[in-house]
Amino acid sequence: MAKPGLLVVLLAAMLLMGCTHSEESSIAPLAPAAGRVDPGLGPGTRALSSGPGYKGSPSWNPDGTRIAFTMDGYVVDVPTTSGESRRWTTKDFVATDTEWTSDGILAILGATSPTRRGADNSLYRANAGEGSLALERIARGVLAMSPIPGEHGLVFARAKGPHGSKLAGSRDGGTSYRNYADNPIEGHVSALSLSPDGEEVVMSLRPPGDPRTSELRTFDLRQREGRNIARLEGDREILGTPQWTRHGIYFVAGKQSTRLDDDSSEPLFELYCVPADGGAPEPAPGVGEDFVASSIRVSPDDDRLAVIGRLNPKSPINLYVLDPAAKKLEAITANEDMEIKTDPDDLAWSPDGENVAIIARGTPSTEPEVRTEPADRLLRDFYNLYEIPVSEASAR
Amino acid sequence: MRGVAIWFSGAALAFFLTAGAFLLLANIATIPAEKSLAPEPPAAASQPIVGLELNADQLASLKLEPDQSLDLTVRNEGNTPLSDVNVTLSVSSENTALSVSRHYRQTVAKIPAKGTADIPFGFDLSVPEQRVTGRPASEPARGILEIKATTPDGISTMKTVILPP
Repeated sequence: MAKPGLLVVLLAAMLLMGCTHSEESSIAPLAPAAGRVDPGLGPGTRALSSGPGYKGSPSWNPDGTRIAFTMDGYVVDVPTTSGESRRWTTKDFVATDTEWTSDGILAILGATSPTRRGADNSLYRANAGEGSLALERIARGVLAMSPIPGEHGLVFARAKGPHGSKLAGSRDGGTSYRNYADNPIEGHVSALSLSPDGEEVVMSLRPPGDPRTSELRTFDLRQREGRNIARLEGDREILGTPQWTRHGIYFVAGKQSTRLDDDSSEPLFELYCVPADGGAPEPAPGVGEDFVASSIRVSPDDDRLAVIGRLNPKSPINLYVLDPAAKKLEAITANEDMEIKTDPDDLAWSPDGENVAIIARGTPSTEPEVRTEPADRLLRDFYNLYEIPVSEASAR
Repeated sequence: MRGVAIWFSGAALAFFLTAGAFLLLANIATIPAEKSLAPEPPAAASQPIVGLELNADQLASLKLEPDQSLDLTVRNEGNTPLSDVNVTLSVSSENTALSVSRHYRQTVAKIPAKGTADIPFGFDLSVPEQRVTGRPASEPARGILEIKATTPDGISTMKTVILPP
């Protein structure tokens, strides 16, 4: 029985050897490539882009891992953590808006070789997987668009003659579309967005014979019926895209000709609210009577409104979040000396509602400025995208 | 009784042999021990021994036009002479949709220890005829100069100049 005993000892040794792992040396975690920076917008700010280029119209993809934007007219996207940018259009393309319809597909509103900016825009579809800069045209003469979250679709307005518009929709990321109604809408649609339930659209319009975007209209996509909900009087016009929250429709409006250095006590543009079923627009409660609004965007949960504006005509521009239910405005950035871009489409919520992307730069000098970094790594010297965390207090 | 013991020992032996064989195979196939990925020492990059000096008055007189000139001063901050220092000057536009990218290069044969070399650069800062891009007229693009001095050892220093329109 000595031999079986030896065998058992040998097997035990083999088992012990097999169960013993070779010593592992730990690998230190990688430092975040794009860490938090404080470029003068307050703590927690993170740069999402760098280098030269006039950037605009940021849009987060549905899973929040990439952000697309226009740069000097062409479209690029970058990972929100770190990595190289991708170009989606050629440099002779001028995009005015870009929106994700799914994680790999962008809807791009713009024109190839335009004779003037914004003239005769078409709506295109671009696919990240196709590896080229080819665009598929969805429709010509498109005035405005909005993605339909969760359906890989789009709703958009096409020009119908000099004074009319038609609403159309495409589904499943395709290039085919259908009109929502046979009869055109009177007026040219300037901008549109969806209601919280996705079944209606709110549009700002330029009525026939009126040079101003002065009318708000809703359209029920299921009933295929539209109705006017507000008309602005007194030379005021609507700026940007109206936003439909769970507590009413918000929009920015004012007199385009008013300037900051005017002695007029009237602010440049005000934030207004109107009930979804129509009525007289009222200044949005909670922002203060001197508040000057520039651009707004509703949060993914439709309960908060990101607002770029200033508390009064002399105060710095900042990002704020308005809670319409609580009528409470919270400053999100603490802008010291940055120029925050104020075009209507220059802000976007992340899909999880925890961050807002804005575009900002330092004040440019009239003298040559010398830096010790390559141009493509500079932040403050050019308009760049920043991710601004929205505090817990403003999250509901 | 003995038959049962033999049968039991045989079964145990078969089990241990099979288990041992698997463990042996698993050990053979184990990925080699990982090594920590220490970052490259940045000593060379963080302690340049060449310096670049730009003439502020000349910079202020530059225009986004052809036939511009700038005198650069390359300084050897080390204790040994430097030879064959490459100096490059790249011109580009803040408007990234425009294909304005020009590159100029000169080589400095020798710079004594703690000494300097002056390098005159002539270059074209003009912007091609503006076509329609996504940049509004209210935002004229600035010019960008990127100047870099590199020693044969790969040690470099750079300056980026942003020129108002």
